[in-house]
Amino acid sequence: MNENRYTPKTPKLILFVGIIMLVFVLEAYYLSMYKSDSKEMLVKKKNFVALVGLGDLAISTEATYIRHRSLSNVFSIYKDDGSLREYFPSTFTYSHSHIINRLDNE
Amino acid sequence: MNKINFYLIEYAINSILRQKYKSFFITTVLTLLIFLLTSVFFITNSIKSELNSTVDALPQIIVQKIKAGRHYDIDVSSSDAILEITGVVDATARVWGYYYFENAGVNFSVVGIDEFEEQYKKSLSIIVDNAKLDFNDNASMLVGSGVKKTMLKNYYKEYFNFIKPNGELKKIYLKGVFDGDTQLESNDMIVMTKASAREIFDIDESKATDIVVKVSNLDEVVTVASKIKLLFPDARVITKNDLKISYQNIFDYKSGIFLALFIISLFTFFIIIYDKASGLSSEEKREIGILKAIGWRVDDVLKEKFYEGFIISFIAYLFGVILAFLFVYILQAPLLQNIFTGYSQLKTSFELPFIFDTQTLFLVFFLSVPIYISATIIPSWKIATLDADEVVR
Repeated sequence: MNENRYTPKTPKLILFVGIIMLVFVLEAYYLSMYKSDSKEMLVKKKNFVALVGLGDLAISTEATYIRHRSLSNVFSIYKDDGSLREYFPSTFTYSHSHIINRLDNE
Repeated sequence: MNKINFYLIEYAINSILRQKYKSFFITTVLTLLIFLLTSVFFITNSIKSELNSTVDALPQIIVQKIKAGRHYDIDVSSSDAILEITGVVDATARVWGYYYFENAGVNFSVVGIDEFEEQYKKSLSIIVDNAKLDFNDNASMLVGSGVKKTMLKNYYKEYFNFIKPNGELKKIYLKGVFDGDTQLESNDMIVMTKASAREIFDIDESKATDIVVKVSNLDEVVTVASKIKLLFPDARVITKNDLKISYQNIFDYKSGIFLALFIISLFTFFIIIYDKASGLSSEEKREIGILKAIGWRVDDVLKEKFYEGFIISFIAYLFGVILAFLFVYILQAPLLQNIFTGYSQLKTSFELPFIFDTQTLFLVFFLSVPIYISATIIPSWKIATLDADEVVR
């Protein structure tokens, strides 16, 4: 303790940050153990998607054009959306897809 | 390589503690900013990975008929012509669509599958608890858990009455519910025989919703797609890659909006910090002046300020990320999930798969920590380069 005679708070800070980092690591470990997709779950999901052949997630279901991408074109996010949202790459907030012109064999 | 000067760190800690309330306030605001952005990134990453994990199970090519710019029923006979293209292994006409259930104001996705296809038996046994869908029985269905809940709410326990386009009722018995593990995909799904689906949607035997095409060699998908396009000029041909792109677009759009908002708030935050620091109180100025007068060098002052900024922003970053993990994966993102789920009545549990995405963590780190540090160091550097007596006076 003698060496920290003039810096008594530094070890405490390092301990504090260390504890937070430990919490972070433990949390990430817990989540990866219990909250990530298990192999078995993936098999079920793949089987389901193969069965119905429709890709989208059942997250947004209020509109037919959100649920399955196959009914909208590549650039329109919401096909027949009343507020006429994104239709062209030029109007994207962030950027349009940069893989659009990429060929499958590249 | 200089050794870390612990005395400077100690001084920085004391300096932070001296201005308890200010430090606490700044840490809290920065934590919240980081927490919000990280949460959104986590949600989009998880949804993305969920989609990408199943995208390979999707059909390679989907062919739809477009008439007057709208989707239209395609002739079943088209599949024979597509089958003759070299490289095509299989072309199946599908019947599927949306059934709007008015009482609850929700859309169900109804999918018809063939009676005679044995392959379904196996996959059904994996995804349905005790499936007893008898394919000779034209009046049974399998539903997702969300559909079952909605039906129960409307007092349909064992069967459901679909209203056909001509107004007649079609009674279909509920034979099984899809496994809860597949909820993100199956929540709004109803799977029944093709014949029942045709009856409910009033689709003629010679017509189908679309045709799915299987190609044996993945490298030939694009070629086959262009051949189909030549064969049927009125068709829209969608490859699996197109679907991937459109997924990418929707997430770029949603997380893009957030990134734009975040950059605005971060910039505002930067300005506030910079302004506060450049309008350093006379006391803080005097402090720097005195430090210089007793022999601190400019770089000592800057190092001390760097430690100060780093301690605050790094702790805020760690707290923000820890809270975001908790919020998204354990509490299932209350409030924030509405942005992604819309106003749908058929809510999924939103139990997203956990993805430890180092890219996001680094992105948020470099968007927050260095910016905060620079906002505190620059004004101090301005003061520290002045002469000590000038500052103190």
